[in-house]
Amino acid sequence: MEAKLKQELIETFGERLTKAAKMYLDNCSRCGLCIEACHAYASSPETRYTAVGRAQNIRRLYEEYFKKGKIAKKLNEAVELDDHWMEKVYETAYTCTGCRRCMTYCPFGIDTGVIQGIAKMLLITADQEPKTLTMLADMSIAKAKTIEKTKENFAAAAKNLEAEVLQRWRSEGGEEVVPLDVQDANVLYVALAGKHSIIPAAAIMNAAKEKWSLSYFEAVNFGAFVGNPAKTKEIAGRIIEEAKRLNIKEVVICECGTAYRVMKHMSGEKPFKVITFAELIARYVEQGRIKLDKSKLPAKVTYHDPCQIARQGGIYEQPRYVLGQLTDNFVEMTPNRQANWCCGGGGGLVAMGEKDFRMKSAKVKADQVKATGAEVLCTACENCHTQLSDLNEHYGLGVKVEYLSDLTAKALVQD
Amino acid sequence: MVNQIFYLITVPMVYVAVAWCIVGIVVKVARVAKAPAHPFTLKVFPDKDHPVPSPVWGALSMPTVRRHNPTFWVFLILFHLGIAVLILAHLDLLPWFNIYPEDSEHMIGNGAVGVVVTTAILYFLLRRFASPLREISVPADYLLLFLLFCTAMSGDIISWANSWSENGFVLTKQDFGAYLNGLFHFSWADPAEAIDGGHYVVLVVHVFLANLFLMVLPFSKIMHTFFAIPLNKLRRG
Repeated sequence: MEAKLKQELIETFGERLTKAAKMYLDNCSRCGLCIEACHAYASSPETRYTAVGRAQNIRRLYEEYFKKGKIAKKLNEAVELDDHWMEKVYETAYTCTGCRRCMTYCPFGIDTGVIQGIAKMLLITADQEPKTLTMLADMSIAKAKTIEKTKENFAAAAKNLEAEVLQRWRSEGGEEVVPLDVQDANVLYVALAGKHSIIPAAAIMNAAKEKWSLSYFEAVNFGAFVGNPAKTKEIAGRIIEEAKRLNIKEVVICECGTAYRVMKHMSGEKPFKVITFAELIARYVEQGRIKLDKSKLPAKVTYHDPCQIARQGGIYEQPRYVLGQLTDNFVEMTPNRQANWCCGGGGGLVAMGEKDFRMKSAKVKADQVKATGAEVLCTACENCHTQLSDLNEHYGLGVKVEYLSDLTAKALVQD
Repeated sequence: MVNQIFYLITVPMVYVAVAWCIVGIVVKVARVAKAPAHPFTLKVFPDKDHPVPSPVWGALSMPTVRRHNPTFWVFLILFHLGIAVLILAHLDLLPWFNIYPEDSEHMIGNGAVGVVVTTAILYFLLRRFASPLREISVPADYLLLFLLFCTAMSGDIISWANSWSENGFVLTKQDFGAYLNGLFHFSWADPAEAIDGGHYVVLVVHVFLANLFLMVLPFSKIMHTFFAIPLNKLRRG
C-alpha cells in the first residue's frame, strides 16, 4: 500500500472517531455475549461473523494508529494497515447487515454499525467499496440534477399505472389516481422504483380519501448502503427539498427500512413528520378511513419485523394491528419484535447480489420461518422481501412472501 | 536492599500509581468528551415487553447479560458487588469510617467477599480459554484478568487466610488501618516498622499488584467503569 494512501486512510479513520466510536472501540471487554446475537454466526458458526469479530478488525487498527505504548499495542494485537488487512476491513463492512441485534445483547450497547461505518469509509477512501452500490448512489444523485427534464416521462409512467390502481380501488371523482406535485398535500409518498411499491399504496391512500402526492424520487438510499455520509445526505436531501417545496405535512416512506431510518433518524430536524407506510395504514384502519375484508386472507400468516423499522424505528405494533384486521389466523415468529432474527439481506447485501453468503448466513431465519408453519410471510421492507423470497426458494419454505401494503390493498372493502 | 524495595513499593509507588491513575482517567475521559458527537441517534427501540432500562440501571444491573447468559450474569454481579464492598472495606480501614468496629480483626466482608471476587475472576479467566471466546480474546484480556486474579488472591491471603494460623490473625484490620492512615497523611513512614509477621511480604505483593493495576487501569478496558453509563445512554437515545 502506498504511503500516501495509508496516510489518507488513517486521517479518514480519525475523522470518524466520534464520542460514540471512541467509547465503542475503547470499552469492548470482549465478553463474547454478542457472538450469539448475530444471525450469520447462528447460521455458520465462525467468529469472523460476529459483532466482536468484525469490530476487532477495526479495533486492532485503532490500537496501532490512535493509541500509544509499544507493549500495549502488542498486548492488544495492533496491526499495520496494508492491502491484506483491507480485506479484513471489507469483511467487517460487507458481511454485516447492520441489523444491530448485537446491541441488544451487549452490556454496553456497542453499535457495530458505527464501527462498520468506519470500515466502509476506509474502503471508499481506498476506492475498494462495492462499485454497484456507489454507481446506484450516483444515479440517485444524478436524477436530482436532471429532474426537471424527466418529470414529464415520470408523469406519463405514473399515468400508465392508473388502470391497475383502479382495479384495487376506484378513485374518488375528480381526483387524480396517482397525483404528482400536489401543493400543501398531507402526505408525500416516497416509493421505490417499481410499480409494486406504488399501486397498492395509491389504492389505499385513495380509499382513505387522502390528499397525497407521489414523490418524483425513489426512497432507497444507496448512499447509506455503501456507507458514504455525504451521498446519504444528498440522496435524502432531494426528498426533503421536494417536501419543503410542496409544503408537505408528512413524508411517508414506502416499505423500505433503510430509507425510513435515513429519513427519520439520520437527516436532522425537518419541518415535516416522517412515518412508515405501515403506520399510515394502521392510522387509516383505526380512524375507520379504510375497511378490510378478512375473508381475503384465509391462510396462516406470520410477520417478519424489518430491523430498520422495528429495532431501529420502534415500529412493532402498527403492522401487527393491521394484520389483526386482515386475518384471524396470525402466528408470531419466535423470537420476534426487538429480538427478531435479521433476514440477512440488509446493509446493501441484496443490492450487491452476494446470494451464496446471504443464503448461508440466514439459515437461522429460514428455520425460524419454517417453525411458524405459516403459509404467508408478511413483511414491510423491500430488502427483507427480496431476501425472504430468496430464502423461501433456496430452503424450500413453501410460503408466499407478501408486502403488508399489498395484503391491505387486496382486502380493501369496496363500499 | 529487600527492605528498601518493600518500602518503595508500599509507599512511594502507591503515590505514583494513584496519581498516574487519576491523571490517566481524567485525560482519557477528557479525550472522549472533546470528540464530536455522533451525527445521528444510536438508539435501539424498546417494545412493551422488553423495555431497554434507564442508562444507570442498565449499566448497573446488566439486564441484557441476565437475559442471554444468566450464569455469566451471576458472576458479573458477584464480581462488581464484591469490588464495591472491597472498596468500602479498604476505606473502612481509615479511622473516620466506622462501618466495622474499630477493634475488629476482620475487614468488612470477613474475607469471604474477597474469595467471591477471586472466584468470579477465575471464572472470567477460564471461560476465555474456551471456544469461541478464545478466538476473540487478545493477550491483554488474559493478562488483565491474571493481574486481577493475583491481586485478589494476595488480598485473600492477608485478609482471610492470615487468620488460619495457630495464634489467630497475623495481620489485623488495625495493622492495615495504621498503614493506610500513614499513606493518607503523607507520613512517609515505613509500614514494616508498625507491621510485622510473616505475612508482611504478602501485603507487599498485594500492594505491588494493586499499584500495577492502578497504573494499567486508564489504558485498559476497565475504563468501562466510567463509560458504561454514557454507553447505555447512547443505546437508549
